[in-house]
Amino acid sequence: MTTLASPALSGAKRTGTTPGRLIGAEILKVRTTNAWWLFTIGVVVFTLLALAVNWLGHHFELHPPISQLNADQQRTAEASAALARTPPGLAKITADMVTSGQMFGCLLALVLGSLVVTNEFYHQTATATFMTTPHRTAVLLAKLMAAALFGAVFWAVSTVLDFVATPVFLHTEHVSYGMFSWIPMRSVLLNLLAFVLWAVFGCGLGALIRNQIGAVITGVVVYLIGSIAIQLLFQLLHVLIPHDWVLTAQVAAPGVASRVLLTPGRAFDHAPPQWAGGVVLVAYAAIFTIIGIALTRKRDIS
Amino acid sequence: MPDGQIVVDGLTKVYKNLRAVDDLSFTVQAGRVTGFLGPNGAGKTTTLRMLLNLVQPTAGTATIGGRRYADLPEPIREVGAILEASAAHKGRTGRNHLRVLCRGAGLPKHRADEVLALVGLTPAANRKFKGYSLGMRQRLGIAAALLGDPRVLVLDEPANGLDPEGIRWMRDLLKALAADGRTVLVSSHLLTEMEILADDIIIIASGKLVAQGTVATVIDSMPATERTLVRTNDLGRLLAELGDQASSAPAENGVYISGPGAEAIGDAARRAGVALHQLVTERPDLEAVFLELTKEGAGIR
Repeated sequence: MTTLASPALSGAKRTGTTPGRLIGAEILKVRTTNAWWLFTIGVVVFTLLALAVNWLGHHFELHPPISQLNADQQRTAEASAALARTPPGLAKITADMVTSGQMFGCLLALVLGSLVVTNEFYHQTATATFMTTPHRTAVLLAKLMAAALFGAVFWAVSTVLDFVATPVFLHTEHVSYGMFSWIPMRSVLLNLLAFVLWAVFGCGLGALIRNQIGAVITGVVVYLIGSIAIQLLFQLLHVLIPHDWVLTAQVAAPGVASRVLLTPGRAFDHAPPQWAGGVVLVAYAAIFTIIGIALTRKRDIS
Repeated sequence: MPDGQIVVDGLTKVYKNLRAVDDLSFTVQAGRVTGFLGPNGAGKTTTLRMLLNLVQPTAGTATIGGRRYADLPEPIREVGAILEASAAHKGRTGRNHLRVLCRGAGLPKHRADEVLALVGLTPAANRKFKGYSLGMRQRLGIAAALLGDPRVLVLDEPANGLDPEGIRWMRDLLKALAADGRTVLVSSHLLTEMEILADDIIIIASGKLVAQGTVATVIDSMPATERTLVRTNDLGRLLAELGDQASSAPAENGVYISGPGAEAIGDAARRAGVALHQLVTERPDLEAVFLELTKEGAGIR
């Protein structure tokens, strides 16, 4: 065979396809388009915005504008400011500051996760991908891993900004709390879990709904509007069935589960503990992934 | 089982109420260019996609060198393919498109530059895919198909969008690849191109096999379609001399005579004392045979 004489191939080891290579290819796919830096800029911008909003909110929590309030309001504000200055209050504020940007950061992870799958169909590269690797489960699992990794990168970017801003905030507000103590650190780690799970969730959603716009819109709706609608629905249900478990059951909505996972203490009245939110999110990510893989194995690529 | 032989056996694909491919069987030999022909909608692309494990057959099997595509340990080092929908991410450069494929298949990344040079795309390597012309996209598809130095090539309408120079380049490349001992299966509806390029042809219509063999065998399989274009000063006397076995049909510039060959017509003209101004034997070409063979299955299904 002379036509294609190739120094590159003759010297190469024939290693074939391995999970590491598949994940590498998926990461390269993201890195060779504009997506990665556009999304990273998005994470930076939203984190900075969230830091500004949280900074302002906690500033007025710690230093209420007493002069502008009447006597009654002054008493309430001073009482809550005093509460905020206790160690548990400061723990909560610090935890909030070091996870700034999580709301839109997780949303970006979700959207990127679904793009990792739907791009293949949108740009008709699925043919080349599945011809290179005719093992669809392996390809989808590699996509899942790549999406999870990008979720973690987004978390890292957001967290680095938070860790720079939070000490400055604490200093200028004349309060002190250990940023690296357990309560803030637990929030930071749970935040990582949320970024990764939302990216995986998006990936599974993309495998389920191959249409790019359909998948992204569904994801955003579930994430943003879905939880509000579900909360209203459960409030109504609670009127009809006045049991506490009806309120607790809201955690079944992915958006609510995410909030439960990320809120130190209770996210709302009768909310389940934080870990329950994590369990629900893991369950969604797993179910979507399994159905997505089953569908992708059966579907014709044309 | 010889290396690189493609065997399609009883392959069937049924969509809701359409038998896109219907009990199709054929073999493709290594070392030859095989043309895969059929009218639009005959099931060519579906057949090739089933061969490459992209579409699930309803029944039947398709193997390459005795193995299903999905069972090949390193598929792109054994089979290279371009399909009609072969495309790249619009925002990715041609070189990066190939590097992604190299990464997934475990090929060294500078292999991408080698195939880019091979198809003449080096100057456009760092341009984004959305800026590629149709011909450049087709060349990138061929580059991708050649990445793994495969023994078997499957190409669906590779000449689409190529200019005449590109078509000639493609023809020479495919012939050279076949001369190397590789298997080259090319689908097309460009019949004159296939007549020049292919050694063997497979013709399908309505998802069924219509003809298979060397180009000459398939053309010869058509019964008595040879005819002779004759221009003469006295057609009546010539036809009278030829007698009943000859039939004639008017042509643009003379008359077509079927039945006796050119030699018999020339002899008859001498006997009758008629002058011949033109005497041309017209053998049926692939196009005529193709239209004849597929006329029943050519409608929109």
